[in-house]
Amino acid sequence: MPSNIRILCGKGGVGKTTISLAMAIRDAAQGRRVLVITSHPLSELSAAVSLEGLGAQYPGAAKNLFLVHLDPRELLAEAVQRHFPVTASADQSVRNAILRNVVEVAPGLKSVSFVSRLQQLAERKSAEGDPQYQTVIWDAPASHALLAILRGARAFDPQRGGPLGEAAQDAARFFAGSPQAIPVATLDEMAIEEAVDLAAVLAGEFGWRGPGVLLNMVSPVQDLEEPADDPALDFVLRRARVERERAASLGSRVGIAGLAIPRLIHSGSDLALLGQIGGFLEASAAA
Amino acid sequence: MKITVYLGTAGVGKTSVAAATALVRARSGQKSLALLADPSHAQRAALGLCDGAVEHCVEGDFWASVLDVRAALDDMVRAYAVRDAERILRHPIYATLAESLSGMQELMALERIDQLRRRGFEHIVVDTEPSHQAVRILDKPELLVEFAGSQWIRLISQTYGVAEMMGMMTMGRKAFETFSRVESLLGGKLVREVLEFYSLFEPVSDGFAARAQKVVALLKSSATEFRLVTTPQKARRDAKFFSEALRSRGAGLSGVWINRVWTRGAATPAPGSPVSETIEWYRCMQAAQQREIDLVREEFETRVMAELPHEVDSIAALDRLSGR
Repeated sequence: MPSNIRILCGKGGVGKTTISLAMAIRDAAQGRRVLVITSHPLSELSAAVSLEGLGAQYPGAAKNLFLVHLDPRELLAEAVQRHFPVTASADQSVRNAILRNVVEVAPGLKSVSFVSRLQQLAERKSAEGDPQYQTVIWDAPASHALLAILRGARAFDPQRGGPLGEAAQDAARFFAGSPQAIPVATLDEMAIEEAVDLAAVLAGEFGWRGPGVLLNMVSPVQDLEEPADDPALDFVLRRARVERERAASLGSRVGIAGLAIPRLIHSGSDLALLGQIGGFLEASAAA
Repeated sequence: MKITVYLGTAGVGKTSVAAATALVRARSGQKSLALLADPSHAQRAALGLCDGAVEHCVEGDFWASVLDVRAALDDMVRAYAVRDAERILRHPIYATLAESLSGMQELMALERIDQLRRRGFEHIVVDTEPSHQAVRILDKPELLVEFAGSQWIRLISQTYGVAEMMGMMTMGRKAFETFSRVESLLGGKLVREVLEFYSLFEPVSDGFAARAQKVVALLKSSATEFRLVTTPQKARRDAKFFSEALRSRGAGLSGVWINRVWTRGAATPAPGSPVSETIEWYRCMQAAQQREIDLVREEFETRVMAELPHEVDSIAALDRLSGR
């Protein structure tokens, strides 16, 4: 069964969370039920992007948008609690110490718990029997952490019995489903290198070939022939030229996902910014 | 000895600012080191940093080092495990510990600060991991969680060996139950490996806890200054988050350093000129940035640094950054 999972990945700071939420709001506004799995603890999400005002501004979307943060340690703790319930507090502190010192350092355990829960959520059925979520967007952590999760989960032995074996099987379905991985990059050296490397690893190790790299915060200036006396203008033009060269080089190496989100004037609410980005996504989808 | 800790999220130029700060201090005659979390290839090349975690003299009194978490852990094991160092380093669970334990970056930063302090640096500039989580450097440092009865796990691991010989008869019933459950979840081999590792590693983690607590006390003292590096768009929310996160941990944000700021242009375009659209866009961006900066300035000590037209990839570029 084809995957309904989209993975936004790439270097820290390129805009994965912002774009994930913009995509989600756009889909949700069109009536699709969307789940976003974010790398930020929900209590801290507004420190990155705030959804304040969503219910008032986009009531339809608010109804269809679901947000979750999967903490691998909490998932493990839940699994251990199910398998090994204790109530007496002395036993709990021993159990917690075992959890932290024994279970947590078991190779791949946190990763497979994470991927297993993600896949379970993606496969969830509604009361009517159709998929609970039409779209699942994984706002992934930074590249090294993402690859640690993917590699750890895939290496976990599915022949194991018990709850971990089941988790490994969930993970196997996740990998077999070939989710759509979309590296995101801004047009600076480090972000580009990381996106290119990530795309290569995802293709080489996992067989995932997505639509290319999604460019974010691109300078929206046209090329100008006349030289600039104004140092500020010169700065902007020079930067735009460098960005264009990098985009061209990136395109020839991994392909660009047909979409470059410009650097937008950000004043007022995050919601306005998310709406603007959603507009760009819409326009490019229609094109 | 003074410590400056730079906090901030990804993509704000924290590494460059940290390096520039150490450079400025070094130029004023203090033996200074920038401890960098994740420098780019260009930044490493600019500072002459090779692989490995050793301190490197960049020029004069200006030193730099990469916070290599695994190397720091290895060094710590070699220094403090005495007899069992090689067994620990080769142990299958060791690699997972280094990768898997959350907060390892912050814990190893504490260890490195302790080393650097003892190596005579007068000023240490710490570039933290670009994440909201980095403020946890001030939390209680522990590599391994203490058991309520800390001798218990050593007893169990020793008893495990004996119990196998004696058919589990010498193990206390509760302990036996505990381990049966854990074994059924993880498999017997893995549990034995973990217990063996723990009994080897415990002396290292105990020693670490003692040193790390001293460093945390130092970080909370007046010897240490916490600064935020951010961009105009993120400044307000980052300042709010990090100042509250520090306050709840008994520290304070001494200043907000807003980087990547676009300076005000002087030219007014001729109407209808092809440049006018670009200039107008630039003006709007710059004005939006200025609004954010002014709002942050109302609440915090703020310093502004201009965006440089190219990557910060040389000492000269660091000079330009700090010259603002």
